[in-house]
Amino acid sequence: MSKLTKIVLGAVGVALSLGLLHAWLNLGFDPQMALGLKEKEEGSAEDRFRVGFLPVTCHLTCPVTDWINKGMAGKGFYEPVRFSGFPEIKESIIAGYLPATFMLAPMAMALRQQGVPIKIVYLGHRDGTALMVGKDSGIESVGDLRGKKVAIPNRFSNQYLLLRKALAAEGMTIDDIQMVEMPPPDMPAALYAKAVDGISSGEPFMAQTEMDGYGKVLYQAKEVWPDFISCVLVVSEKTIDEHPEWVQELVTGIAKSGLWLEGGMDQRMKAADVVATQYYNQDPRLLSFVLSKPPDRVTYSKLRLARADFEEIADLALEAGVLTGPIAFEEYADTRFSENTTGAGAYSWKPK
Amino acid sequence: MRMKPKTEAIVLPLGVATLFILGWHFAVRWTGSDIFPTPGQVVTGLIELIQKGVLLKYVVASLFRVAAGFLLAMAVGIPAGLLMGWFGRARLAFNPAIQVLRPISPIAWIPVAILWFGVSDAAPIFLIFLASVFPITTSAIAAVQNIQQVYIRAARNFGIEGLELFKKVVFPAALPQILTGIRLALGVAWLVVVAAEMIAVNSGLGYLIIDARNAGKRYDLVVAGMAMIGLIGLGLDVLVRRMEKLDEVRWGLSR
Repeated sequence: MSKLTKIVLGAVGVALSLGLLHAWLNLGFDPQMALGLKEKEEGSAEDRFRVGFLPVTCHLTCPVTDWINKGMAGKGFYEPVRFSGFPEIKESIIAGYLPATFMLAPMAMALRQQGVPIKIVYLGHRDGTALMVGKDSGIESVGDLRGKKVAIPNRFSNQYLLLRKALAAEGMTIDDIQMVEMPPPDMPAALYAKAVDGISSGEPFMAQTEMDGYGKVLYQAKEVWPDFISCVLVVSEKTIDEHPEWVQELVTGIAKSGLWLEGGMDQRMKAADVVATQYYNQDPRLLSFVLSKPPDRVTYSKLRLARADFEEIADLALEAGVLTGPIAFEEYADTRFSENTTGAGAYSWKPK
Repeated sequence: MRMKPKTEAIVLPLGVATLFILGWHFAVRWTGSDIFPTPGQVVTGLIELIQKGVLLKYVVASLFRVAAGFLLAMAVGIPAGLLMGWFGRARLAFNPAIQVLRPISPIAWIPVAILWFGVSDAAPIFLIFLASVFPITTSAIAAVQNIQQVYIRAARNFGIEGLELFKKVVFPAALPQILTGIRLALGVAWLVVVAAEMIAVNSGLGYLIIDARNAGKRYDLVVAGMAMIGLIGLGLDVLVRRMEKLDEVRWGLSR
């Protein structure tokens, strides 16, 4: 065998062993199970349906429902899959990889209008958005934003509509400021470095600037738009047709864990700790801050689908050009799972 | 004072690295930034990753994806390049298509990769394959075209033709330049790992960087990820350079 052949074989060998090592370390592949030495466990990750989420408080009920179910029943009934950005979430639900996911409300409506077979079935939260400016920026009111650079997550975000609404209240339009799109995780550093003058996205990225001492709140969402909704639970129509029981279980679970989160500060703090370390990979102090200062910074009750909420979003989205034409509530929303949560109470469970 | 060349090869780069790290440290100190990490904080971050047991996992995940994508690219790129280098018509037919696809950044392919492969290892492997297959193919084409005709004529005079000619003359003569292409392509493949892992896979050094951004003010981990990618890149380059020193590879150079 020539030396070169050996090298080629060696390289293939290295790649194969890396593959095995990767499968074992990262993909949950169990060598004992592959060799038939161990039986497959019931309810392992691949049997459960996936639910996409981002590490933001708008999606908090996704990990919390999973955590409570693991605590109560010893296992969850779905697999929460953490993403890093909305574009990837959007592509994964279009591709059919995700049967259900949390997503920006206007984005879900726009996708529906473009023919993607999805439905909004429930809300994930209320409030939980702010517009932050530099502490020493001298910006004291929305009027002071004139000519300034303000970052929003995405043109399909409700933060964009919120900003338009806040500007309109001061007799201004979006053309009076410079708007930029930026992934929320990059916003705190951009504000710190004064690359932008204002930032607006879901928590905890807004509270982070306050906690670290260089940002201050210009407005909380509720001051401009009471009962503000940023993200909703979206499922594919295929899932509704084939597994309505999954959707119902998920919606009921979110309803119950949402109420559970409103059941006292002890529970909230415990949830902040577990979600930050086990699901979000963030500093637990940050989530504790967001969920407590003030406690109604984000809320998790009143999550049922209400036509009026969505018609307001649709009107603003149409005006902003996010939607290309009017769209009927029935076309993008399926309320039956939400209706079935009537009377559902909070999970009765105490974390250890 | 003269150092031995071997000592020099270690001492000089180490000196540059030390100066760089000192410069970095004091730049952060003097500007008073509490967002950008100092080298010390990056090392602490790396230690934290080791203690959590994720650093090895991430390195393995990234190396696996690059190895798989890169081997696929070699398996496709080298034969395709040799054939196109040898058969003028094949080159005429396919080369424009290659030149159209080649400049498209793998980042542009991310949405397509998710739509085709979902959020699995296949998507980043596909992106790494795309990034490396074109430089390999192009260098293999050029390598065959650059073979001195005297070798081919001499071989033909001895009655060597067809597959035998390819195996005994064309491939060995083209090998050094192909290897140079491979070395460049490996650099590109490793370069693409961050972008490739931006897709929601949940392991890898690229993922480490994306995840650290999500984690709030953890720029120490962002820079730790960058440092690991750089150091492993250096290791890969050293390995491939070693390969270029093999006897079988060298005869092609001795014109």
